Amino acid sequence: MTDLDITKKKDVKQAIEKRAFDLFPIYRSEVECASRSDIEKIQLEKLKKQVRYTYDNVKYYRDLMDEMGVCPDDIKTLDDIRLLPFTDKEVLRETFPYGLFAVPMDDIIELHASSGTTGQPIVVGYTRADMDMWSECIARLVQMAGVVPTDIAQMAFGYGMFTGGFGLHYGLQRLGCAMIPAGSGNTERHIKMIEDYGTTVLIATPSYAMHICEVGESMGYDWASSPLRVGLFGGEPCPPSLKAEIESRMHIVCTDNYGLTEVVGPGVSGECLAHRDQQHIAEDHFLWEVVDPDTGEAVADGEVGELVLTPLDKEGIPVLRYRTHDLTRVTTEPCECGRTMARMNKVRSRCDDMLIIRGTNVFPSQIEDVLSTIDEVTPHYHIIVRTVNGMDSLTVQTEIRPEAFSDSFEEMTALQRSIEEKLKGVLLVGAKVELIEPGGIERTMGKAKHVSDERAR
Amino acid sequence: MTVTQLSVFTESKPGHLAGILNILEKANISVRGFSVSDTGDYGIARFIVDDPDGAQKLLEETGKAFTLKEVLCLKLADVPGELARVMGILAECNVNVKYSYSMISTYIIISTDDIDATKDALSKEPVNIITQADIKKITADRFA
Repeated sequence: MTDLDITKKKDVKQAIEKRAFDLFPIYRSEVECASRSDIEKIQLEKLKKQVRYTYDNVKYYRDLMDEMGVCPDDIKTLDDIRLLPFTDKEVLRETFPYGLFAVPMDDIIELHASSGTTGQPIVVGYTRADMDMWSECIARLVQMAGVVPTDIAQMAFGYGMFTGGFGLHYGLQRLGCAMIPAGSGNTERHIKMIEDYGTTVLIATPSYAMHICEVGESMGYDWASSPLRVGLFGGEPCPPSLKAEIESRMHIVCTDNYGLTEVVGPGVSGECLAHRDQQHIAEDHFLWEVVDPDTGEAVADGEVGELVLTPLDKEGIPVLRYRTHDLTRVTTEPCECGRTMARMNKVRSRCDDMLIIRGTNVFPSQIEDVLSTIDEVTPHYHIIVRTVNGMDSLTVQTEIRPEAFSDSFEEMTALQRSIEEKLKGVLLVGAKVELIEPGGIERTMGKAKHVSDERAR
Repeated sequence: MTVTQLSVFTESKPGHLAGILNILEKANISVRGFSVSDTGDYGIARFIVDDPDGAQKLLEETGKAFTLKEVLCLKLADVPGELARVMGILAECNVNVKYSYSMISTYIIISTDDIDATKDALSKEPVNIITQADIKKITADRFA
């Protein structure tokens, strides 16, 4: 077992298959592998301090807590967090730009903003201590993915205000990696740089990684003998089928991480190689709750609900009980990888990306799951909702695989109908399937836009 | 005795058919016969070319969804009743023709969503549009 070297491309997959997780280093094992009682002790101590800090320094929270009759000294146990008000994204918009900042601008050393895909941008500021905490969280999660200090990491996220670019950049440098700040775009140049510089780690959105893979293949680049070993994905949810396809075609191990600009950016949680559908939360920095999205009440242990996060030591913008609108469940069982930090299931759907089609709730992730079971189509899809004759009409575009095409309308139509039937069986509402040419669904460098809601309102 | 037909999946949208033809044209592959039909969402474009191997390679490289199929190519005498005679032979043998199209002809038929607009667009270009009367006259001249 010890002859496996996780810094060698050929050995990594084998080490994971053999469950040899002791070969993978843990960045801060004294915290990441601490006992539950020790973790909770750290959390309670930090929570008390953080609530006091927030009350003293942010007028918005002070006014709100005064109005609710809650004071920082009321926090005596971790459960007392339920006394505190929730924070929604709206508040960050209403107080734009600096209304929630707890420190003068002189103490802020960097600003970031959300991409604004779901509305006007929100802006966040980091103090030096915030940057330090953020980099540490990233260093932990990249090490969870098998990255080591000797790695050469190439950035294919855009830099700019988006937290993903600089967040991963600083975190990988913290670990000791050599950073190549290539940025997004110019796919052929990315492939050339991987070869020229001996890049071992690629940071990209999963859809852009797929694009790099396809462009490489069309250039005749041999991914099997490429130096690339690890893919770090973020910026958008990564469907398991897409990741599996990238892993097999690029011959790399890929993980993705979770985070939100409003909370810190990437770094809240990272995928674990022992449980590929889960991510370890950096619990000593972020207190998590899972609540019923309608009532705001805590759900029973291990049940699915909306993730609510409270950063425990952020100075720049210390948000309390941030409503992520992301649906997940969390387990605190110790993990096979050696870590004890709680694991959240990867977020596949958000409370607010649910579509209501003719009165039936439909999540894009359900459509994604159905398509991933159909061999004849690729993992790329696009959902269009329109109003036709006053009724909601759902169209799912999916790319046909070259080898699945036949010279017969009967066979193609049969494929179309069988996908429609499978969708109806799961969604309980009819959907029209449109077959699209291979490569016909747009590959994005940023967040893939899976839904176009063109309904008349 | 058969020839190789390339069938290519195409979305029923402007530019998709032209895209395939450009790929072939750039490699000097000559289309000697073709047929395009659609279901409203997508279509199948069928081609007979002078170099099917070369075309196959190109379509693979560009990631197109396509398939090769062996089909029969018949040379009919250009006399009235010839098409009926050949189809009659097949009918007698109980053979169902799935599809059929003519090749090596510079007269092509196209059907679009908006025939008038298409006609207007082509009329502005050096393209010769044939009328029903022309067809009658050409036939009459030839067999006079």
